[in-house]
Amino acid sequence: MKQRFISTLQIILQLALTTVGLTGQSYPGKPQIIRCRSLEKETFSCWWKPGSDGGLPNNYTLFYSKDSEEKIYECPDYLTSGPNSCYFNKNHTNPWTTYIITVMATNEIGSNSSDPQHVDITSIVQPDAPVNLSLETNTSANMSYLWAKWSPPPLADASFNSHVYHYELRLKPEEKEEWETVSVGMQTHYVVTSLQAGMKYVVQVRCMLDLGEWSEWSPERSIQIRKKRLPPEKPRIIKCRSPEKETFTCWWKPALDGELSTNHTLLYSKEGEEKVYECPDYKTSGPNSCYFDKKHTSFWTIYNITVRATNEMGSNVSDPHYVDVTYIVQPDPPVNITLELKKSERKTYLVVTWSPPPLADVRSGWLTLEYELRLKPEGEEWDTVFVGQQTQYTARSLIPGKKYIVQMHCKPDHHGLWSEWSPEMYTEIPPDFGVKDMVVWIIVGVLSSLICLIMSWIMIMKGYRMMAFILPPVPGPKIKGIDTHLLETGKSEELLSALDCHGFPPTSDCEELLIEYLEVEDSEDQQLMPSHDTPSKNTKIILKETDSDSGRGSCDSPSLLPVKCRESRGLPSTLQTQDGGAKEKKGGKGSWETQYTASEQKTLPCNSESIKPYTWLAAQLPSNQAAMFAYHSTMEAFKITRNTANVNTSPVLVGNEENRQSLYPIAETVYDDVEKISEMEYSRTDQTTVQIRQNQHNDKSPFMNPKRMDYVEVHKVRQDEEPTLLLKHKENSGKTKKCTLPGTSKEYTKVSTVVDHHILVLLPDQRTQNTPVSQEPVAETSQNPQQSQAEKNTSYSTTAPSDSRRDTSGSDYMDPSSFMPFFK
Amino acid sequence: GLLLVALLVSHMLLTKEGVTSLPICPNGSVNCQLSLEELFDRAVKLSHYIHFLSSEMFNEFDERYAQGRGFIAKAVNSCHTASLTTPEDKEQAQQIHHEDLLNLILGVLRSWNDPLIHLASEVQTIKEAPETILWKAVEIEEQNKRLLEGMEKIVGRVHSGEVENDIYTPWDGLPSLQLADEDSRLFAFYNLLHCLRRDSHKIDNYLKVLKCRLIHDNNC
Repeated sequence: MKQRFISTLQIILQLALTTVGLTGQSYPGKPQIIRCRSLEKETFSCWWKPGSDGGLPNNYTLFYSKDSEEKIYECPDYLTSGPNSCYFNKNHTNPWTTYIITVMATNEIGSNSSDPQHVDITSIVQPDAPVNLSLETNTSANMSYLWAKWSPPPLADASFNSHVYHYELRLKPEEKEEWETVSVGMQTHYVVTSLQAGMKYVVQVRCMLDLGEWSEWSPERSIQIRKKRLPPEKPRIIKCRSPEKETFTCWWKPALDGELSTNHTLLYSKEGEEKVYECPDYKTSGPNSCYFDKKHTSFWTIYNITVRATNEMGSNVSDPHYVDVTYIVQPDPPVNITLELKKSERKTYLVVTWSPPPLADVRSGWLTLEYELRLKPEGEEWDTVFVGQQTQYTARSLIPGKKYIVQMHCKPDHHGLWSEWSPEMYTEIPPDFGVKDMVVWIIVGVLSSLICLIMSWIMIMKGYRMMAFILPPVPGPKIKGIDTHLLETGKSEELLSALDCHGFPPTSDCEELLIEYLEVEDSEDQQLMPSHDTPSKNTKIILKETDSDSGRGSCDSPSLLPVKCRESRGLPSTLQTQDGGAKEKKGGKGSWETQYTASEQKTLPCNSESIKPYTWLAAQLPSNQAAMFAYHSTMEAFKITRNTANVNTSPVLVGNEENRQSLYPIAETVYDDVEKISEMEYSRTDQTTVQIRQNQHNDKSPFMNPKRMDYVEVHKVRQDEEPTLLLKHKENSGKTKKCTLPGTSKEYTKVSTVVDHHILVLLPDQRTQNTPVSQEPVAETSQNPQQSQAEKNTSYSTTAPSDSRRDTSGSDYMDPSSFMPFFK
Repeated sequence: GLLLVALLVSHMLLTKEGVTSLPICPNGSVNCQLSLEELFDRAVKLSHYIHFLSSEMFNEFDERYAQGRGFIAKAVNSCHTASLTTPEDKEQAQQIHHEDLLNLILGVLRSWNDPLIHLASEVQTIKEAPETILWKAVEIEEQNKRLLEGMEKIVGRVHSGEVENDIYTPWDGLPSLQLADEDSRLFAFYNLLHCLRRDSHKIDNYLKVLKCRLIHDNNC
């Protein structure tokens, strides 16, 4: 009946609520009865959870009915058990009755009821947790106990305290997970044995009535279980130290013994005394230490020190520590460290001064300290310097602009330990302007050397013109041994014109040409001509610059040379190559090196004599290529000449220096074995020859002598004991004259070439413009293989200029010819 | 001419050298002898050197032969010079009259004459004794004699009265250096070196104190 009533009521309510739900606000949600619980079987409480409130304030009403009656009651006490609960006191609680409980939520729109809950009192009994849990440990003999006490859960109605609870206790070491649960019974205390010493235990209790469920576990309580009680461990003496060689202190590491208080005693005996003393002062140096003041400190005496640790259970003694205070001195760090920057001669240096530690009495001589300093630029490695007994140090070679860190420490002179490092001191080295100056100077130096390089490059490019500009032509010495008349009347003019100025425009260039002379002079110099086997004097052909009136205008007299060129078939080709060589010379070293190689290949088979100078040349090449080539080409040309025309008896042609603009060999007559041999040969064939030799003294390296290298000497001109030189006369129409050696010297004589195997062409300086002249005879010379050799030989003669130019400083005069390819 | 100049120059150099190498005669000195300061300087240098050597020698020996044998415990109270009562701390060293201290130094030095001679010879018998130890033993013996000479000179200069010549303690340790038992013999050496290190340090320290007291008026 009642149930049916309730359900119909619900249906009606629900219908009403659904209609109202359309308005936006709604009837309350369904409340839910969470639990009903009796703490002690005599009263009970029920708690519910509200449903949604439907946007409006709700009222909650709890209705209950008993299984024995149909009557519906409302909750007797909404307050005692807190919000949303209903407390049924003893009067409303009947353990023999089943209660049917519903909660209804109501608001303006409607109401909603929970599902009904059937409650049997005996089945919902659960007490609160016990309270006032307290723990104690007790240690007796070897056992540790844990004594736990607690109180039963308090009840609202004090009259119910007669209830009897069953208790359970659980415990575990703090760090473990698993609990050990003990059933205690009805007591409210418990003693735990079998505990692990030194562990901390956590304990909880709970309780239960004879019916129902166990209560919650009480809050945790924990307690430290002491270790077993033992005598202390061995203490250990850590170290002893004397800071000033007058007192000392020893420190020890105390013995561990759990919670027991342990007393430490330091005992010592001194060498030579039986008595054992106790530490005079435990306080001054802090805990676990013993301070020996001056009275108690002796030196050169061994202290036997021990520390005894004592507690209730017994005592333990450290290992003995033997100390002679002499050897344990460790001073404090030095003090008053000052850093002072000083400057001298652009350099900054650092003066560090300091004082000995205040405790140390260094004045009496009792303690002598030595110092060590370390410094570093910030962020770099330490540089450590042992200073000795001084109290000052000067640090040099510091990096300017760096921040330096300085530290000091000290040590007794013999034994003991270094002190701690003093606090760091900083100083900043100012940037060194000296370095900047240096940089500026270096830049200036580099720039100026660059300029020099450019200058010299220009000089090379411009050739002798530069040199001539800087060093104007110097009038050359006259040729002593040549008869002027011979030169004037000879065919030399023809020759010159052929070689030199044919087709050469008489431009103003010609005016600038430096005319050079071949000076053939007598020489009595026995060093140069130690064993000359001819009665005639040595002939030296020296190239000289002429002054302007003697060295110009040669371009205008081209008539002579072509003739001579025809006579001497080898000559034109030589000229040609020489010209090419001159150009190549400007191109650089490499070109004439190849030329040299070519000539070497050609000349080697020609004459075995040439091998010697050649090899020698090669060895000297890097240092003195120019001179070597000059020499060599002269030699070779000459030899070729000799080979090709054995029978000829010809005068030496000496070109007029004014007509000739081609280059001339620079040679100097010298002796050496090879030359002697060749001389003999010439003598036998009765040739009129001119030997042009490079100075090849055994005692001197000719290449170190620029003058010698520059010249070609007419070594011997022989024709039946009557050597002849054909000279080109300056102003002459080109006649060739025979001149005897030694003859009267003539001014303008240069060796232009050796022509026709036995003619020495002497001529003035020649520029590269003579190319057209030399072109003509090429066809002729091509027929003669030996002449082509000569051609090759001459090709590298162009190197001579660079050498002579280099040596101008050591030379008496500037020889512009040396800038030009020279012609043989 | 050149030769003459060269001779002159060399002569000048020689005389100059002669002058620099003869700083002995200070102005106003009658006997042309070393000053007390110079004597002390040299003595201190020498004692410093001797102690350096003995200390090195002890360390080498200790490292090589004494490890783990507990010699240090046995070495207590067994130096033959222990009977000479020497200052044991700074105060004592400063209170003792400098003549007494000098005499004590002399006494200690003399007491080491004998043992050092024997040490230099007996140390050769140590098994695999390194050359460095042998050399040092000889060197110390020589330098000790030199120091003794120097100290006698100083004492002669400082003393107002007669020089006591009888302070010294005899050494009877030679048999112990010749013991058949390796361990005992090594300990005898150890002990001797230990005492040598101690006494050479004492002498060095006393000399430095004396020098500061007598020469620099306690203001080194």
